[in-house]
Amino acid sequence: MDNYSRAFLFNGIGSKPEKLLVKLPPELMDKYIHYFDEAFARLGLCKDIEKNSFYDKRVAEWIISLICDRVVYEFYLEKGLIPDIGAGYSSGIVSISGCFGAVSHEFAHDIIMMNRATMKCLDENGQKLDMGVVIGFSYSDMQEILDKSFSPDELIIGSGNSRFHVMISGKAEAVTKALEICQNEGALKAFSFGTGVAYHHPVMKDYSHEYVELCGQDVYSAPVYPILSIFDYRIMTTGADIMKENQLNVYTPIRWDIALDKLADMGVREFFDVSANGAVSKFSRVKRKCKIYTLDDIIS
Amino acid sequence: MRELTPEIREEIKDMIFDYYAEECEVEKDEITMETNPQNDLGSDSLMFVELIEMTADKYDMDIKLQAIGKYMLKTPMDTMSDVVDMFCKIYQYGNDIVNQ
Repeated sequence: MDNYSRAFLFNGIGSKPEKLLVKLPPELMDKYIHYFDEAFARLGLCKDIEKNSFYDKRVAEWIISLICDRVVYEFYLEKGLIPDIGAGYSSGIVSISGCFGAVSHEFAHDIIMMNRATMKCLDENGQKLDMGVVIGFSYSDMQEILDKSFSPDELIIGSGNSRFHVMISGKAEAVTKALEICQNEGALKAFSFGTGVAYHHPVMKDYSHEYVELCGQDVYSAPVYPILSIFDYRIMTTGADIMKENQLNVYTPIRWDIALDKLADMGVREFFDVSANGAVSKFSRVKRKCKIYTLDDIIS
Repeated sequence: MRELTPEIREEIKDMIFDYYAEECEVEKDEITMETNPQNDLGSDSLMFVELIEMTADKYDMDIKLQAIGKYMLKTPMDTMSDVVDMFCKIYQYGNDIVNQ
C-alpha cells in the first residue's frame, strides 16, 4: 500500500483578491505579478479588476485565486515540502489540476473563464439561483432542516465542509429562507453569496454544457502527485480521472469533511493549505492526530 | 453549574485576549474590554468557532454551537466585555447558556 503522510489542500474560488494578496509576503509578489500580467494579457482581462465587465470581473477575481495558489504551491515546493497526495475543494479541483501538472496553468485558467458562459446561460434562462454558508451547523443538522422545509430540487447541501460549516446551494428564494431558519435555530452566522449560481447543485448540469465540454478536451496528463476525488474518494492517478473530476465539479455535491477523514485514514498527518490566506484551514477540521499548516506557519 | 471564581474569570479573559491578539495580529495591550471584536479587530465567526473549540478543550466541555448561537440572538457580542461575559457563562452553564 502506498504511504501517504502529507497532503496539499487547494481552495476553491471565494476569497476576495485583497484578502489573498495582503497575505503574500513581499518575496512572492514579483512572481505573482509576473503570472498575473501574463494571464490577464492572454485572457484579455483588464488588470484594474473594477473596469472589467460584470462577468469578466467575477472570473478575473477567480483567476487571481488560482494564481495565488500557484505561487504558494511553488513556494512550498521550494521549501522542500513535497506532497504525497492532494485534494481540491470545489474550484480547487481546477487549481490542483494545474499545479499538479494534469493540465497547463493556461488551460486551468480557460476552465475558470468558461464560468462566464454558465452565468450567462443561467441569466438568459431566468434562473434565480444562489449559494449560502451556515456556520455552527453540522451536515446532519442542516439536512434535518432541509428535509423539513425544502425539496432537493429547491435546495441541497452543496458541500459538507466540517462539523460546523456547510454550504447550501439551490434556488435563491430557498437559500434566503433556509438562512433565516438557520439563524433562528442558532447558527453563529448564515449568509448568501449572492452570485446567481448554484455550484454543486444538479440543476447546474443543464446550464453548464460549454463548461463541461471544455473540461472534456483531450489535454490531460497524469498528475505528478495523486489527487483524492472529493466525489467518490478514489485516488486519481490518470488524466482521464482528472478530466472526469473537473466535469463533475460544477453540478455534483461535495463532502469535503469525508474527503479529509479519508486522507487521515490513508495515513496523512500533515495537511498544507495552499490558499494564501489560510481559507481552507478555517472551514476544515482534521482528526486530532493531524494538523493543517498554512502559509503563515511556513513563513514564520 | 460550575463555580466561576475570579481566578477562572481572569484566566478566561487572558485566553480570549491572547487569542485575538495573535489571530488579529495586534498587541495584546491594544485590546480593551470596550474593543469591538468585529469592527476594531477584524475578527469573524470562524475565529469565534475556534475560540469556542479552544475553550471546550481547555475545560473539557462538550459545547453545542447552536446553543451559543441562540444565546447570541439575545445577546450580541459588541465588545470584548460581552465576549468575556459569554465565555464565562459557557464555563458556568455549558449548553444551558441558552436559558440564561
